[in-house]
Amino acid sequence: NYWETPEQALAGANAIYNSMLVDGAYMRIFPSLSDGRGDGVKADSPWADLVQVSNFTIPTTSAPVQWVWRDSYLMIGRANQVLANVPDIEMDAALKDRILGQAHFLRGLAYFNLANNFKVVPLVTTPPAGTEDYNPETAPEDALWELIRNDFRAAADMLPVNYRDVSGPDAGDLGRATKGAATGFLAKAELYRQNWQAAADGFAQLVTGPLAVYSLMPDYRDNFLQVNENNAESLFEVQFASPSEVGGADMNWAGEPLATWKQVSAQAVTYGADEYGYSDFLPTQWLYDAYKSERTVDGGVDPRLLTTLASYEPEANSTTIYGNEWPYAEDKIYPRKYTRDGFPGIANEFDFNSGINYRLMRYADVLLMYAEALNELGRTEEAYGYIQQVRDRAKLPDLAEVHPNMTQGEMRERIAHERALELALEGTRINDIIRWGWLYDGDKLAELQAHDAEFTSWSPGNEYLPVPQRELDVNPNLSPNSAN
Amino acid sequence: QESTVSGYVTSMDDEPLIGATVSVKNTTTGTVTDVDGSYRIRAVPGDTLLYTYIGFLNEERVVGPGETRINVLLTGDIAELDEIVVVGYGTQRKSDLTGSVSVISTEDIEKYATNDVAQLLQGRAAGVNVNSDGEPGSIPRVRIRGVGTFGNAEPLYVIDGVPIGTTPRDFNPNDIASVQILKDASAGAIYGSRAANGVVIITTKKGSRNTPLQITYTAYYGLDQVWQDIPVLGREQYQLLNNESQLNGGETVAPGNDPNDPLYIDNIDTDWQAEGFKNGNRMNHNLRFAGGGENVTYNLSLDYFDNEGTLVGNGPDYTRYSVRANTEAEKGIFKVGQSLYYSHSNESPLTYEGLLLAGGRPSLIGDLVVAVPTMPVLDPNRRGGFGGTSSAVERAISLNVIGLNSLIDNRVEADRIFAVTYGELTLLERAGTSLKYKLNLSYDRTFTRDFSFQPGFDLGFFFQKDIPALTDGSRSFSTGLVENTLNFEKDFGNQQLSVLVGQMYQQGNFLFRNGYTEQLTEPYFPVLNNGTNQTASGFETRNVLLSYLARVNYSYDDRYLITGTIRRDGSSRFAPENRYGNFPSIAVGWKLHNEDFLNLPEAIAELKLRGSYGKLGNQEIGDYLYTTSINSNIVYNFNGERVIGGLQTQIVSEDIKWETKTTTNVGLDLALFEGKVTFSGEYYSSETSDILVGVPIAESNGATNTPVVNAGILRNNGLDFNLGYRDFSGPFNFEVSANMATLNNEVVALGGNNEPIFGIGSITEVGSEIGQHYGWDVVGVFQSQEEIDEHAFQDPGTAPGDLIFRDIGGVDENGERTNIPDGIIDANDRTYLGSAIPSLYYGFNFYATFKNFDFTTFASGATGYQINSRLYRDLLHTQGYINYHEDALNRWTPDNPSNVYPRLVAGDPNQNARDSNREGWLQDGTHLRINTVSLGYTLPQGIIEQLSKFRVYATIQNLYTFQSYKGFNPDFISRDLENNPSIFEPGFDFGSFPKPRVYLLGLEVTF
Repeated sequence: NYWETPEQALAGANAIYNSMLVDGAYMRIFPSLSDGRGDGVKADSPWADLVQVSNFTIPTTSAPVQWVWRDSYLMIGRANQVLANVPDIEMDAALKDRILGQAHFLRGLAYFNLANNFKVVPLVTTPPAGTEDYNPETAPEDALWELIRNDFRAAADMLPVNYRDVSGPDAGDLGRATKGAATGFLAKAELYRQNWQAAADGFAQLVTGPLAVYSLMPDYRDNFLQVNENNAESLFEVQFASPSEVGGADMNWAGEPLATWKQVSAQAVTYGADEYGYSDFLPTQWLYDAYKSERTVDGGVDPRLLTTLASYEPEANSTTIYGNEWPYAEDKIYPRKYTRDGFPGIANEFDFNSGINYRLMRYADVLLMYAEALNELGRTEEAYGYIQQVRDRAKLPDLAEVHPNMTQGEMRERIAHERALELALEGTRINDIIRWGWLYDGDKLAELQAHDAEFTSWSPGNEYLPVPQRELDVNPNLSPNSAN
Repeated sequence: QESTVSGYVTSMDDEPLIGATVSVKNTTTGTVTDVDGSYRIRAVPGDTLLYTYIGFLNEERVVGPGETRINVLLTGDIAELDEIVVVGYGTQRKSDLTGSVSVISTEDIEKYATNDVAQLLQGRAAGVNVNSDGEPGSIPRVRIRGVGTFGNAEPLYVIDGVPIGTTPRDFNPNDIASVQILKDASAGAIYGSRAANGVVIITTKKGSRNTPLQITYTAYYGLDQVWQDIPVLGREQYQLLNNESQLNGGETVAPGNDPNDPLYIDNIDTDWQAEGFKNGNRMNHNLRFAGGGENVTYNLSLDYFDNEGTLVGNGPDYTRYSVRANTEAEKGIFKVGQSLYYSHSNESPLTYEGLLLAGGRPSLIGDLVVAVPTMPVLDPNRRGGFGGTSSAVERAISLNVIGLNSLIDNRVEADRIFAVTYGELTLLERAGTSLKYKLNLSYDRTFTRDFSFQPGFDLGFFFQKDIPALTDGSRSFSTGLVENTLNFEKDFGNQQLSVLVGQMYQQGNFLFRNGYTEQLTEPYFPVLNNGTNQTASGFETRNVLLSYLARVNYSYDDRYLITGTIRRDGSSRFAPENRYGNFPSIAVGWKLHNEDFLNLPEAIAELKLRGSYGKLGNQEIGDYLYTTSINSNIVYNFNGERVIGGLQTQIVSEDIKWETKTTTNVGLDLALFEGKVTFSGEYYSSETSDILVGVPIAESNGATNTPVVNAGILRNNGLDFNLGYRDFSGPFNFEVSANMATLNNEVVALGGNNEPIFGIGSITEVGSEIGQHYGWDVVGVFQSQEEIDEHAFQDPGTAPGDLIFRDIGGVDENGERTNIPDGIIDANDRTYLGSAIPSLYYGFNFYATFKNFDFTTFASGATGYQINSRLYRDLLHTQGYINYHEDALNRWTPDNPSNVYPRLVAGDPNQNARDSNREGWLQDGTHLRINTVSLGYTLPQGIIEQLSKFRVYATIQNLYTFQSYKGFNPDFISRDLENNPSIFEPGFDFGSFPKPRVYLLGLEVTF
């Protein structure tokens, strides 16, 4: 019999994390579909599914969309097992709390992703007891967000600030969910629901309150390397690793987990430039120009440009790709973030062995979200300082000097711009566009279409991923969404 | 003074005659010859022994003084009406059969050159359907009387009395003495638990008693040639169409296809089918030594089979070496025998790209056909030396199949040992009564080495292997059997009774081990020690079957026959409370031609009515599926250190139980004009309940599997016919026969809430048949914006040239589907588009001899179904960068306002590619395959003294298939998108390997 020992409880928690390593989760498709729908990225793939997602014409039979659905529920199903079974195990209460806290956090995260991408989905919170439970019905949107909040809140209550100071088998583990991660995601969920005060209160804990243990890394690129992972700026990240670190022979795409699974990310090969990777996505010219529109205090290029994008910049002494002379036209641009371009010993991405952790929340994002919540609360002046912390690292001039006394509306625009540059290719842009209502604002939509022509084929409702047809066919209690 | 006379009854060609009647003339004493043709009868000198066997002329012998052994040779009569057939645990005269049994004759078997036993069944017997493709070593799919289950529908193979539980792939067809197929509940009931899908009983050759050593050598050599060609476009037309599609979709054209781009490709025009297919060959040598003495028979055969496939590169190829030794010895009341078989086969299976990239790719043959003509076969600048495409030039995700198949080395080496030994003890034998005990022991083990080496290579874009990798593993399948049976027979003169009781225990074991390593360095020496990241994995499963069986046969006056059978089985695959199942059956027969009161006309040699009813079982699911288990191999890492997680990853149904199939069979056998004309007709109806199948569940359940449950009820019914005419009266002799089977299939229930099960463009729904084609109904092509505006809404991007779909239904306020058109084309407008299962199968056979020449031809086919061809649909794609079928030239353009073929548009906003009945998406599967045309010449006896037989022949196999289907094989094996055999999309051709035409020359010599 299982679920009787503390070891089994902890193994249960570890198994939930594993569901973040698969294709429909953070290994490739979830980041890709999020980035692709934003205005900073366009599809450049012969794989039609990626193009269709990127230009909002997704058929309900889209396989990658189905994988996102499948793998989100994989994570939920595993978290539900832990939450259903671990409470009855006799074990150290603190360890039990940590395990349950992680399960709440990861389940909350999965539902947060589902809510942002599908808007409405079924709410499954217990393992199915029998066939009568196999076909859950679509839950109201509010119920979904209520569960997300409750999960993150429970996680924040139960999780430790870090694992250095705990005693138990998980002592010292880097990469487990922490109180800070749960607090950050709870505040982010409040922000997404436009509960500005609750959001600001949450972020305040991380910025000035008891959880102010985070700081920006001195070098922006530190956040996207295979070294310096789980650093001071990181609230939570998915732990990918190369076979040279953790072994593995079989790709961790999907299916029944095996001991021989690798724990690699395929985002690098998907984003890698022509001949070095599949080049399934390209940055838009707008994103490039947006970086170029900024100058550092010493007159140079925004250092985030060459971390985010691969482009030919003799002025910044950047004329190579994967160690080779720039082989493309001088105006060609490619993604660089989350690829291994420039890593020692990496000639291309075709070994499929990228071990770069995927960062789900960075302190820079917290600062910008905090600033946004403050601005929405009418505390626009207070927002400046937090934004400037992020700009300072990019060596950009003081916002209070270049754009003093912005109105709330101007500040909103400013924050959107700052977020676009700081967080490009990190899967957040489409969520920002949706929650800011830009698609339903004629001027803003025109702007988006100017940024990225893929928005011209957007039609109302299609900013979400459609509920997979296979799932609708199997589950009669499931409702389609606006993208079906 | 009474004594015993014993001996053998054989035919002119030295085959033992099984079931010949030996009687003492003018008495009631009589007996029937055994499986080896032997008999033993009480007689005194001076008695006249009468030997009769239907189809042969009677012989009489007077017992001389002190004579105890009499061997008799019977001469063939006009027809072999009454052969003996092997049924489970015994034999029966064909005329005494009450159940449904088809017999495939040895002569038929010898006429088809293949490595696979199952392949030989195609078209030979009504109701037995074989699907296969042309890949050497691949395993055909055999269906007896349709698909009675959603689960594993392969029949049970019984070789020399042992249910092997796997395919007979490794067995040598040259060893076969006879094949019988048990089709109904009565015939199959003795194998109850596993007979639901039918039983194929294979008996291997034995030696004959008192026969000097006979050496037979047979051999053939043949050339395999792919005769079909899928018409695809050359470079210029490909570029033209692709550019048109990209521009229509608002994309830019690929630099390699753009005449104005410096990267434009105008010097490559690869015809992939011409480059990728080559002539294969097949060869067989068989040497057989057979004979026997007074108490012993022996048969030893050595065999070599080699088939080099028709694809350029490393395979698919198949080679097999086999040896068989069958012996039997007898003394007094003891009889012991054994059959020992060993084979070693080496298969280079068709590479599947799962090795490189999971999911989504077509079959390798599909990839070959759809490859772009702008890709070169060879390219010395790429690692590995083969050509590829680039995302910056061709933009095509196009696989160089020749390259992949040449670079990757896959091998499956299989060693199979199949040993059967039996002992029989005659406990009682006196006038008309016998009691025999038999012990049967067998062990069957297949051990494979699965080797796959993938060197580092660059086949462009999607197909690069940066890190060379090697997997070297093994699988072991073993089955042990212990079986005890008691057989009682009593002859009351005009009544015969036989009773069989038995017990059986069978244990199966599967062991999987795999080794992996990578980063091997050049020059490659692919062994596991030569790489880094060496990883091992493995698992083992077991299953046990415990059974009790009983059968009673009773006949009265050779007019009335009755058979009752029951089997009780316990299977470890179910939870203890569901473990046992009982499978009873009953059958009756009435020989009308033996009824005096009917006064049938003289012309009727035989007229028999028979009927049966019974239950059969099926437990062919994986092991342990009723029990929840924990996967404790779920990896993750913290601080870059691997940790292991564990929990339940799969959902199971704990109360699964036996699947049960209830079958009714009614048959009529008729022979006219002393057997010149034979007819057999049967009607069957079966209902399978508690079907064991993995039913897809919502992914919101978070499981990685589809749980196996007892889902639903399925009904099949149909008619089987065999009709034959033979005339063997002059120098010109001939025989024609035809068989035909109809099939109806209906889903009665699907378990749970009866939710339909969706497959690839298919639906399985209550009240309908399995896997009906399902999708949108196309009514034409939009010619103008006006037409689009007037029609139901399809997509914002719909434009002239797109398909018009019929508005069929919508949903009401409760979300229930209605049949009221709602002005929107969506999933509610899907409808049945046709049957995916043939409604009629047929086979024709013609055999003739003239003097020393013999000629045979054999054809088979099916009709009444439609095929959803992935290959054809891929070739009429509108997006991406692969080649086109020449039908795409007829696409809609403003200048060619086609009402059939839509426009080509990248992105396909209107989803013209969706499942529908548009032209070509569903194709009529009706076909007739000329399987064999063969001409032989036998040297007249005595020309070469040492030879008792010398025959040469020339054969063409798969000469031609009459088909309108635009894929390769209309009798493909259905597979899902992951290339796994599938049930719920029977009409979906994932992409099968073309069946080659084979030109054969063969030789048979007997010394």
